[in-house]
Amino acid sequence: MSEVPDNLSYTKDHEWMLIDDGGKVRVGITDHAQDALSDVVFVELPEIGTKFSEGDAMAVAESVKAASDIYAPVSGEIVEVNDKLEESPELINESPYGVGWMVVIMPDNKLENTLDSESYRKLID
Amino acid sequence: MSLRKTPLSKQHIELGAKMVDFAGWEMPIQYSSIISEHKSVRETAGIFDVSHMGQIFVRGPDVVKFLSYITTWNMERQKDGDCRYCHILNEKGQIIDDTIVYTINPNECLLVPNASKIIEIRDWLLAHSNEFNVTIQDLSDLYFCLALQGPEAPRLLGQHLNTSVNSFQLKKSSDVIVSGTGYTGELGCEIIGPLDQIEFHWEALLDMGAIPIGLGARDTLRLEKGYLLSGQDFKGSETTLETNYAWVIDWDHDFIGREALMSQKKTKYSKLSGILLEDRGVLRPGCPVFYNNTKVSELTSGSLSPMLRKGIGLSYLDLDIDSKITLEVRGKHLNARVVRTPFL
Repeated sequence: MSEVPDNLSYTKDHEWMLIDDGGKVRVGITDHAQDALSDVVFVELPEIGTKFSEGDAMAVAESVKAASDIYAPVSGEIVEVNDKLEESPELINESPYGVGWMVVIMPDNKLENTLDSESYRKLID
Repeated sequence: MSLRKTPLSKQHIELGAKMVDFAGWEMPIQYSSIISEHKSVRETAGIFDVSHMGQIFVRGPDVVKFLSYITTWNMERQKDGDCRYCHILNEKGQIIDDTIVYTINPNECLLVPNASKIIEIRDWLLAHSNEFNVTIQDLSDLYFCLALQGPEAPRLLGQHLNTSVNSFQLKKSSDVIVSGTGYTGELGCEIIGPLDQIEFHWEALLDMGAIPIGLGARDTLRLEKGYLLSGQDFKGSETTLETNYAWVIDWDHDFIGREALMSQKKTKYSKLSGILLEDRGVLRPGCPVFYNNTKVSELTSGSLSPMLRKGIGLSYLDLDIDSKITLEVRGKHLNARVVRTPFL
């Protein structure tokens, strides 16, 4: 069974979001997504300062067999990226909700259309 | 059309395999992960269910003459028990399939064509056998094939069947044929035998510690060694010379396609070349290849080498070794160079 922590928000595209006190949104892919991808061997992250609209492809995670787009869960600007993934993309498999996070976004507006842990669990069941 | 299943389907699923359609067969692509399975084969021993591969027996007094005419290799040079990798060509020198010919005895040979080519090869053999005293029997549906590969494979084979085989040699051991062949570049063997015995061999080798390996790692293992994948690196129009496999040709005998190859030899043609990505990234089949800012080709194969941790690929190119090229991946140009294969 995939892990779905209760303190996070989710998208139907299998990303998780954690909103900090300043309103910034930390984003990664879910345990279910990393398991489906299998070994992540390459990650392409956006540059800091890039702006995306909700639903834009903002990053790519590649396994041996396939490349998967990671979509911006909210419109906004990239304010942090996880540089460690360049050397160690496998962190996404090892710790999808922890050191395997991907980007931090400063959103233009508040988050809508997100799923809570219970709805996300139903989605992947 | 429903997919054909190997007799080990249930076992694969119980081992956690993800099953996919491969050449009309439902086969395991991976059990744990492609990277860890790949490393198991390079470092210990892995076992592959490759029962989708074909087994075509050719028997009769003209077997050696016939298969010399059909393949790029002169089978007169084979001794009993020799296995030979070669190509089967059409009159234009284009590869229909690559196969290993097992010389069991002067009157009996076994061909192991790729799953998607079994019928084509069988029909090709039948169509060209009129002048030869041979019989052709496709027993692909009645035989299994397991590949045991990796540095620990010879030890496991010894433990399992109390036998050993040299590279490209075969031995009969009770009902099975054990050959020093494979598709990984490692030590090891392939075991071919009647279908009802597959479970016995599979279970025994797993019990002894062989790791089950799916087709995903089979592909990365073969690509690191520069081995051709039928239907991908050649798909109908490519010749043996173009695949850069001239070493499988014995020019001193008559075979279908020889004249075409002799003419091609005098011309300039693109050859399947190794590509090593210098920037970070993963290569995929179809990826455009650029030289001096001009698109010159596409990748036929591409992946990430789990051992080198670099993108590797194959492409038909007319460029020298060490030529600098770029590969277009998602609109960006990544730096790469032409290298000799094997990559590893």
